Amino acid sequence: MRTIIKITGYLGIIILILPSILFLTGKMELDSVKTVMIVATIIWFGASIIQVWDLDKKLLDKQDK
Amino acid sequence: METDTDQEQMQDSQHGTEYEREPVPQKSWLGFKSFIGMYAGEHCAGTELMIGPLFVAAGVSAFDLIIGLIVGNALAVLSWMFLCAPIATRVRLTLYYQLEKICGRRLVTLYNLTNGVMFCFLAGAMVTVSATALGVWFKFDMPGLNDMYPNSIGWVVAVLICGSLIAIVAAYGYKTVAKFANIASPWMVLVFLVFGIVGLKQFIDVTGTEVNSLGDIWKLANESIWKGGAPQEGQVKFTIWHVTFFAWFCNMAMHIGMSDLSVFRYAKKSWYSIASASGMYVGHFMAWISASILYAYQLHLNPTDTDVLPGPLAYRAAGLVGLLCVIIAGWTTANPTIYRAGLAFQAIIPKVSRFKVTLATGMIATIAGMFPAFAMKLLDFVAIYGMLLMPMGAVIFVDFWLIKKFGLQSNYAQISGKLFNWAAGLAWFITLGTCLLLVKFAGIQIYFVSLPGWFVAAVLYIVISKLYQQKIRSVE
Repeated sequence: MRTIIKITGYLGIIILILPSILFLTGKMELDSVKTVMIVATIIWFGASIIQVWDLDKKLLDKQDK
Repeated sequence: METDTDQEQMQDSQHGTEYEREPVPQKSWLGFKSFIGMYAGEHCAGTELMIGPLFVAAGVSAFDLIIGLIVGNALAVLSWMFLCAPIATRVRLTLYYQLEKICGRRLVTLYNLTNGVMFCFLAGAMVTVSATALGVWFKFDMPGLNDMYPNSIGWVVAVLICGSLIAIVAAYGYKTVAKFANIASPWMVLVFLVFGIVGLKQFIDVTGTEVNSLGDIWKLANESIWKGGAPQEGQVKFTIWHVTFFAWFCNMAMHIGMSDLSVFRYAKKSWYSIASASGMYVGHFMAWISASILYAYQLHLNPTDTDVLPGPLAYRAAGLVGLLCVIIAGWTTANPTIYRAGLAFQAIIPKVSRFKVTLATGMIATIAGMFPAFAMKLLDFVAIYGMLLMPMGAVIFVDFWLIKKFGLQSNYAQISGKLFNWAAGLAWFITLGTCLLLVKFAGIQIYFVSLPGWFVAAVLYIVISKLYQQKIRSVE
């Protein structure tokens, strides 16, 4: 699960930057770039926040032990 | 994710909760990776969105900008490597404790006050940046390039809302925002990169340039983006020297001024300070260039539209994500700045709670943010900030490496029990006076004056220490 979330986060980062490169090469419109960037932002923050929660939980568990 | 924990530890240290008055023990030393992440994140801030455009407003040319930034940032990294980090990894103390040993508690209090006030104004500029994003939604009048005072009720209300929220969050939950900043940092860096890529493509399209090689892009950069020539009205003309010195000295307080002793005391090795290059070449190269392209594009479309407003600039390039980036970049960087300013003030009035001091500091920053002068004159402000704190960096450098060679005592305040080391105090005040005189009467611009200033401070500290320490000895 942890690995999947990590990969999803990285995917978000790739989706964030890729549309602008496609725009530069003339293969995508700017409006579409902006829309895809919103989706990528949600993916990145979603995955990162879950990872931080997971890390905090792990640290708490360690402290309890 | 290990890096996040390391960064939190380092942030704790910067904010004075760990090893305040003792050397960092070996078990808490950190690896190289921690410093790369920290510097890349910290130097990709909301204010980068002001600095890039202000270079264009200063009439900079493509060659001067690119080469000036490469050289200036390299000099900044070398300053961290050869001035700050070698002392940090040898003494492993915070800047404040190191200064207290040399200067005495009262002089450190004065230093704290100066630092706190400058942090407040800097945070104010960050609040200004965030508030420009609200202007895109609510369409109120926003300040122009040469505005010094708030110019509309809408602007004042927007800054008040942004600043108050930032202040309350900084006072209540600094750590949560710091955690969020760590998450947002890689995203923010890439959004800055998107600004540059989109801006470049917009330039290619609007000028009808055919790009077949890097040479074509360089031609476009010279002829349309950074054309050089006269600066905008009210701005100083920037040459390669201005860009180089600005890039070198914009973080002067941190490297030459030794503020980052508090950071590198955690480094296993002194050379880890080369990690500062991540901040310089991501934040102070890529981000400045990207932001400047957006502003140059705005000028290309309408040469009379000289307003430097990060919100609208970012929105044009990246839509909602651009606006979000402006808000988050301003917020996440204003948050630690307000917190640090609060800590500096709290050291002066320790009886008042940290919550109250941070809240009050945030409100001062908010009021400062209402005055666009701090953001619109950011290039000058940053240069003044570095100059104000630089002499104390020279004092620490001389005290650590040179003073014993002159038969004098290092850490004099600690050894003599003095609360105010006049040798350090006078070296600071006279250097600042000399710098101001050089700016006012010798025609040296504020961007350059800190270089001779450092040598003045170093020599003064040795000469006055020679007189002061002898006098004290004879009295004793």
